[in-house]
Amino acid sequence: MLPKNARREEVLDRLEEQGGLKPGVVQRVHQETGVPEADIYGVATFYHLLAEPDVEVRVCQGLTCKVLGSEALMRDVQSTGTSACYASCLGRCDQAPALWRAHHQEPPLHTGLTESHSGLAIDLENHKKYKLKALQKLLAQGPDWVLGQLETSELTGRGGAGFPAHIKWRAIRGQAETERYIVLNADEGEPGTFKDREVMLRRPDLVLEGLAIAAKCLEAADIYLYIRGEFQGPKQAMRDALTRLQETGLLDGLNWHFVDGHGAYICGEETALLEALEGKRGMPRMKPPYPVEKGFRGKPTLIQNVETIACLPAILRQGGEWFRDLGKTEAGTKLYCLSGHVRRPGVYEVPMGSTMAELLDQAGGVDGNLKAFSPGGASSGFLPASEVDIPMDFKSLRDAGSMLGSAGVVVLNDTVDMVEASLMQAVFFEDESCGQCAPCRIGTQVIRQTLERYLESKDVAVLAHLNEVMWGMGEASICGLGQAAYWPLQSAMKYFPQEFGLEADSAND
Amino acid sequence: MADGQFVIIDGNELSFEEGETLLQVAARADIEIPTLCYDERLSPAGACRMCLVEVEGSRLMQPACSFKATGGMVVRTQTPKVERNRRFLLSLHMADTEQDRERAEDANPSRIFDLADVHGTAGCFPKVEQKRSGRPQDVNKFIEFRPERCINCSLCTRYCEQIEAVSAITLAGRGAETTISTADAKSLTDTTCELCGGCVAVCPTGAMTEKPALAYGKPEKELEKIRTTCNFCGVGCQLDLNVDREANRIVKATSPPPGTTVNDGSLCVKGRFANDFVHHEERLTSPLIRQEDGSFREASWDEALDRVVSGLQGIADRHGEDALAFISSSRCTGEENYLFQKLSRAAFRTHNVHQCAAT
Ligand SMILES: Cc1cc2nc3c(=O)[nH]c(=O)nc-3n(C[C@H](O)[C@H](O)[C@H](O)COP(=O)(O)O)c2cc1C
Ligand code: SF4
Ligand code: SF4
Ligand code: SF4
Ligand code: FES
Repeated sequence: MLPKNARREEVLDRLEEQGGLKPGVVQRVHQETGVPEADIYGVATFYHLLAEPDVEVRVCQGLTCKVLGSEALMRDVQSTGTSACYASCLGRCDQAPALWRAHHQEPPLHTGLTESHSGLAIDLENHKKYKLKALQKLLAQGPDWVLGQLETSELTGRGGAGFPAHIKWRAIRGQAETERYIVLNADEGEPGTFKDREVMLRRPDLVLEGLAIAAKCLEAADIYLYIRGEFQGPKQAMRDALTRLQETGLLDGLNWHFVDGHGAYICGEETALLEALEGKRGMPRMKPPYPVEKGFRGKPTLIQNVETIACLPAILRQGGEWFRDLGKTEAGTKLYCLSGHVRRPGVYEVPMGSTMAELLDQAGGVDGNLKAFSPGGASSGFLPASEVDIPMDFKSLRDAGSMLGSAGVVVLNDTVDMVEASLMQAVFFEDESCGQCAPCRIGTQVIRQTLERYLESKDVAVLAHLNEVMWGMGEASICGLGQAAYWPLQSAMKYFPQEFGLEADSAND
Repeated sequence: MADGQFVIIDGNELSFEEGETLLQVAARADIEIPTLCYDERLSPAGACRMCLVEVEGSRLMQPACSFKATGGMVVRTQTPKVERNRRFLLSLHMADTEQDRERAEDANPSRIFDLADVHGTAGCFPKVEQKRSGRPQDVNKFIEFRPERCINCSLCTRYCEQIEAVSAITLAGRGAETTISTADAKSLTDTTCELCGGCVAVCPTGAMTEKPALAYGKPEKELEKIRTTCNFCGVGCQLDLNVDREANRIVKATSPPPGTTVNDGSLCVKGRFANDFVHHEERLTSPLIRQEDGSFREASWDEALDRVVSGLQGIADRHGEDALAFISSSRCTGEENYLFQKLSRAAFRTHNVHQCAAT
């Protein structure tokens, strides 16, 4: 029971303003907001950027960075006397090994990109002046026309789940409740993924226009942009673009709220994100009810990934059919992030369903001999080199027991030990589990611990019970994190059993 | 009850009310679904996953404690998958806390092992490294938090927030480090905590435990529970004195299960913890009468009561009955207060009667 008039939604911002969890801060935020001190402490300790305010440098220990030398980088940083800690994927795998300094102006990043041409929905290299044409078209043709185009376009969510966008939009339009919200999910944190960063930096106008389209279409006035805390550059680009676009008057009537993430991967999960917006620990909610019905403040809420939203203007300008036909196996063009052992890491926009081999071409080819790849972030597990011809779309990868997820493709050459690679992913999931439900909180620990023991002893006996633990995580975890956290290990055991001291097919039960 | 609204649980067609959870519907039909993080007084957390059941049309099992019944839903609570999950979780929790029953139950009983008796386990998983921090510097005298036993069920924090309306404790940290803490890990006595001990009562594992009983060192299961009425105030809370028969000692007081007595599972700091006076060496065991020189001497009840009566009567005779006033202790029950005003009005004919808690 929260005291009446307590202002919980302000808690995270105020903690941030006062420099995070330092002596006296909890009490002050309590006095300012009326939220119980213990609750504030519970919130502050959940978010790493708030809980460890004195760390100057965060060195990435994501798979890509780890493989490309984050340990050496850490030694360099520490040798200068700087306080440093490891952090989960920083979303700059193209710069691997990466680090991040809080409150530090960073130079623009150079990354590999697809050359601009007219067959791209987002087109990161397009520098033409922007005119909000799609928004004008919506205003002329009305929401039903938009929904029709959206359905024809077959646009699916680019945040990981691949859920058809028009279904969510229609569900919200069907709600009796008229207080509705639009939320941009820009908490990009899936290891290997850095496309939303580039979209916000290079095409913020597309994102803002897409959000305005969603708001007008769903009759929402308030738009929340939840941007990963480490993405200060992209956030600034979005703010600048907003100021520019607001001058046109076309965005009148819309309220834009920029909200910072505070260092918790799980807040990319949509209901954890909502909890964070409400000033709480980012623990995913149980579904149902889904956000389209009860989301932010318990009201119908559209939550959409940056890339998904950025596809909207092109869909309205050129038509749903045009967008749909851009893809090979599924609709549209798609941003794929390539990192790891490739010559030109970057964000490449190619037709949905391009094969892994085609993506490798875009990225200048493999550095060394391809051994395995992780097709869509840590949650997608690993596929062996023999799968290079697989179309990189939602369905094909699901059928292969993997997933497209966030399309953060990490490429590994034959210098990589798959047990070690599995351990790197295991460390990520253990660090980022919200800790709410037992299968994930404890299961991620069991996996990490078992892999460490195996690496030390090379004794297959330590792998006993793993199958049962992986089964339980998949069946009983609340959210996608726990449900997929064992995929890297399970797939590595399946495709590289000899590295685990197993017979070729004993891991496939 | 909505007309024609039924769910089918394990083949039984059961009616339900709008908003009811599967667990509530099943409980009414005496279908038992095991839980570790559920308490009917609190909002469900869905954290322990013990209550997962199969729901037709849903790929994953669903938590009965929070999943709402809807018309036509077909639910199964006894399938191999459901049972496998229960065994998996019990093994997992043991690996994460304590795998030896005797050690686990050194103080409070453990629901994990009670459930394992019924559902079995998936074997002995490798022991999980302990990452939860406690508050060893907490100076409060009554409540000990043992992080190594905590399953993060959040029953204690939900109780503190939703029943006690105090919010002194919280889930803190994240992931494997998730623990129970106060603001800035202060002592409970430096927080809003009222030391009601409700957090201890709801804890399924003995992670939250009574310090004095822990120091006494005898497991709760070896103590005899004697139901009595708390006499610290007139509310009439029921409590169980946990007695060590051999030593003839009260080791601690516990609250009877929720839903069974008027206090619905709760007690206050006095009822739960203020019982050490019973065995205190300075406790008065017979009446004392003050002598001329100011010192006390022991007396029998008859002598002492006679002395009270003659004293009161003397005042009434000399100064009139309204020179007397009767003030009863806040520890008196309603019945005692009734008798007390009788004494005042009938025996001494004065309306000067009051109850010290009535201000
Ligand atoms: C553990 C976890 C992490 C997630 N992280 C992100 C993320 O960083 N960005 C994102 O857009 N979606 C993320 N998602 C997916 C969101 O829950 C949600 O499906 C998405 O934001 C919906 O937008 P879309 O339909 O446009 O993809 C994550 C999901 C899970 C289970
Ligand atoms: S699966 Fe993991 S991240 Fe998701 S709710 Fe459970 S503990 Fe939290
Ligand atoms: S003793 Fe009572 S008030 Fe104190 S933390 Fe426990 S439940 Fe909360
Ligand atoms: S202390 Fe007990 S009640 Fe509280 S979360 Fe831990 S196990 Fe649950
Ligand atoms: S009782 Fe339902 S999840 Fe714990």
